[in-house]
Amino acid sequence: MAEPAHRIVDDPLAGKAAKPMPVILLVDDDEITRISMAGRLKRLGYRVIEAGDGVAGLAAIRAQRPDLVILDWMMPGLDGPSVCEAIRADGELRSSQVVLMTAHDKPEQIAEGLSRGADDFLSKAASKQEVLARVQASLRSSALVREIERTRDDLDRSHRLLSAKQTELESELQSAADFVRAQLPLPGMPAPGVSMQWAYQPSLALGGDLFQVSVWGSETLGLYILDASGHGVAAALRAVALMTFLREDNLAKVVGSFDPGAIITEANHRFPLTQDGEYFTLWVGRLHLPSRTLSYAAAGHSGAFLHSLQGVSQWLSSASLPLGFDPTISFDSATAQLLPRDRLYLLSDGIYEAPSPTGELWGRDRLQATLESHRAHTLAHSIGDTMTTARQWLKGDIFPDDVALLGVEVLDGTAPAKEKS
Amino acid sequence: MQITERRIGQSIILDLTGELSYANRTTFKAAVERSKRAGCRHLILNMQGVRFLDSSALGTLALLAQSFPAAQGMVSLLNPQSYVKEIITLANLHQILPVYNSEQDALAGSRLPAAG
Repeated sequence: MAEPAHRIVDDPLAGKAAKPMPVILLVDDDEITRISMAGRLKRLGYRVIEAGDGVAGLAAIRAQRPDLVILDWMMPGLDGPSVCEAIRADGELRSSQVVLMTAHDKPEQIAEGLSRGADDFLSKAASKQEVLARVQASLRSSALVREIERTRDDLDRSHRLLSAKQTELESELQSAADFVRAQLPLPGMPAPGVSMQWAYQPSLALGGDLFQVSVWGSETLGLYILDASGHGVAAALRAVALMTFLREDNLAKVVGSFDPGAIITEANHRFPLTQDGEYFTLWVGRLHLPSRTLSYAAAGHSGAFLHSLQGVSQWLSSASLPLGFDPTISFDSATAQLLPRDRLYLLSDGIYEAPSPTGELWGRDRLQATLESHRAHTLAHSIGDTMTTARQWLKGDIFPDDVALLGVEVLDGTAPAKEKS
Repeated sequence: MQITERRIGQSIILDLTGELSYANRTTFKAAVERSKRAGCRHLILNMQGVRFLDSSALGTLALLAQSFPAAQGMVSLLNPQSYVKEIITLANLHQILPVYNSEQDALAGSRLPAAG
């Protein structure tokens, strides 16, 4: 007789360094048949575990996770097909490779065995070649299933790692977003006789639109809104850099004045286009509180609207290049006179460029009409309701661009200069 | 965005169709680079078929204006329409990039530096 393809080994320590020997669980209540088949399998080079009935077989499957289970059909208590069903019903075991062994091989019996969970059939009278062929075929299937399981487990592990990483990144992003939001002014009264409210909704966690209202000097309120092109972390970082430039102490040092035109001219030098063509638009205003005179300048930013109760409402902007488009130019300030109860709105283009589902933009005219319709309401109500109306136009809550809307109201009956003097 | 290139004398006209935005700026920049390498003296961006221009594209155009050295030639815009024209006007882009309303004028514009 020719030497078998595999060495006959049933010592688990033998051949340890070699490829792991496939393990076959043989479940048969008939001891003689079991010993005979086990011998045949061992001679074919497999490691064999034996169990004398269905219950012991199931326990061995759970304990040993064999590569292949060969089950006798007829057994007292739990028969072969019932063990098959138990295996398929168990999430841990259901991918086991199972061959049913029977003395009969009637077609209807084979059909029943397959329908109850067997993967293949083996006749007790099968030749050595057939046993070898079926066992090898079943082990190939088993190896493939195990490979799929390993891949699935690897994917699960990778997914868990990625999820954890994503959670970490989202947490960091949220911290950055909180930091950026902390740079925004507190709603309330930034100076005597002036109230201020705002709404802010970045399109991503981090926005490139930022604004500020703060006291510049003893009688002056500085206001600005900036828009960094692009979105996300890079835009937010650049926006914070420009915000740092626009701090009162820095302006006093590097510009030497709070004139909006001079501030924007200096910013135009200091913030050139990036290599990717990213840039800022900026609107800067300075409100002289005693006289309520507003001087302002813009670099490509069109977002300031003066809603005057007694005077003329107007958009405080003119065509101008964004920062960095032409480093050689200077920007001039213009002026507007505010009256008591006038409202000055600073806003990002994201609000009036909100598209309807058909693509039509909300537009500055509709925005202006909405702001004007809230003349009798509080500033906070006006801003909140205008945001709501924009969302209704959008028919959604997420704007495609950052949205900022800030309102400043010169309170009725105040005469800051006299009060202060 | 679709870009087709036409060479007329020392000028290259890029006929742009669709949206000029962040999403397709790589394609746009590649087409511009090809034109530069081809020794183009006047790059004319035909905006007639462009229906949308986002802020990123504005930056790209400004960068293009800065990166096309005067000694090597010029860049201009041709026939921007409605919304795009409005954006270009609002951003004052015409201050750094000449805007022509007809191809003839644009091509005539391209001959001026050579004549001067």
